[in-house]
Amino acid sequence: MKRLFLLLLVAVVAVTFILIRPAGLQSSDLPVHQADAVNGRQLFYAGGCGSCHGSSDEKADLPLLGGGLEMETPFGVFRVPNISPHPIQGIGDWSTVDFVNAMHFGTSPAKQHFYPSFPYASYSRMTLTDLIDLKSWLDTLPEVDKASAEHALNFPWNLRFGIGFWKLQNLDTDFIVAVDMADKQLTRGRYLVEGPGHCGECHTARNLMGGLDKSHWLAGGPSPEGEGRIPNITPHKDGLADWSAADIEYYLESGLTPDFDTVGGSMVEVQQNMAQLNKQDRAAIAAYLKAIPAQPSAVP
Amino acid sequence: MIRIKASILLSTLLISSFAFAGSGPIEERQNLMEETRDAAKVIGGMVKQEREFDADEAMLAFEVWQRTAAEVGDLFPEGSAVGHDTEAKVTIWSDRAGFDQKLSEFASAVDAAIAANPDNLEALKAAAGPVFKTCKGCHEGYRVEKD
Repeated sequence: MKRLFLLLLVAVVAVTFILIRPAGLQSSDLPVHQADAVNGRQLFYAGGCGSCHGSSDEKADLPLLGGGLEMETPFGVFRVPNISPHPIQGIGDWSTVDFVNAMHFGTSPAKQHFYPSFPYASYSRMTLTDLIDLKSWLDTLPEVDKASAEHALNFPWNLRFGIGFWKLQNLDTDFIVAVDMADKQLTRGRYLVEGPGHCGECHTARNLMGGLDKSHWLAGGPSPEGEGRIPNITPHKDGLADWSAADIEYYLESGLTPDFDTVGGSMVEVQQNMAQLNKQDRAAIAAYLKAIPAQPSAVP
Repeated sequence: MIRIKASILLSTLLISSFAFAGSGPIEERQNLMEETRDAAKVIGGMVKQEREFDADEAMLAFEVWQRTAAEVGDLFPEGSAVGHDTEAKVTIWSDRAGFDQKLSEFASAVDAAIAANPDNLEALKAAAGPVFKTCKGCHEGYRVEKD
């Protein structure tokens, strides 16, 4: 009896260990694809990589991705790393599959979990060819010789293996909102918002485990920066009901609301990145935001 | 006719702002920002082609912005960080030099727009764009986003 129990315990531990282990692909799993850095640049702006990983306020011709931003959260301080192509300080020595595994599975080249402050739970919806294109654009950027700093997290969040449990709950490649698959604009908008744009990472409230509350998708919530609130961007009267698709598109392009207030806070950088996209992509995002389920804002 | 209406509207706004004077810096600056936004509706509306281009109306609106640029900085004295649902962020006082810098960028952009004296829609777009950019300058780091 005791032996059976022990055996069961070992089995449970083994299965758990397998389940929470960092996942990843091999180079041979990648599709044959001629990388397109122009598309990669579009994805870079759709994702706003530079908003967190940028290391300089100076407006250089090309983004400098030396990192250094500190994100103060209830879990502790996350320090954003250098993702410039510097071979030692940045990700210059990463292979394409290393990059794909980071973006898709939150797995580092050393087969460790990345913390989900790096929003791979959204990037997991990106296509492999788009990731290959993005990597090829990042490779063209200047090297930044600046060391990345370690996160300073509170117990138990400092235990990296715990992220494996978080991933079981929160990491998949499924899209969140069902849309008409024949509508190319809607599916493109969904891809941009739920994938590279990772809009839900701020515009959707989180549960105690730091996972997105997908039942209140894009309905806003308290600001992770502490002060203020993140707006509801569903077509509810608490959100964007009064905005036409053209209003949303114009806001993403110009930073002006239908009332001619301007964008503010962290959204300023996001909007300026969105302004770099082509018009069709901004229109696709607007169409998607008008098509998703309307949700009331949670009472503050 | 539209021109007359616009000037009546703007003078009403000016008078109402005097009426509020003395009610404390937070309310004063909130009123001033409301007027600033009303002027933005005039210019933004033309740029977005929701209303017809009118050079005089646009100029009156630019002049409202010029007054904002001249006056709003003084309406953020020490000790006016709380109350009246203010959206002012504490960074205004912890980084006063940065805030003043952003304000002066707004002032210069408005002056340039007035000097350009736009007399058609394309010229207005070119003049207004850089000003709207500087609005974001303060709203990015010095305003709390409440919803």
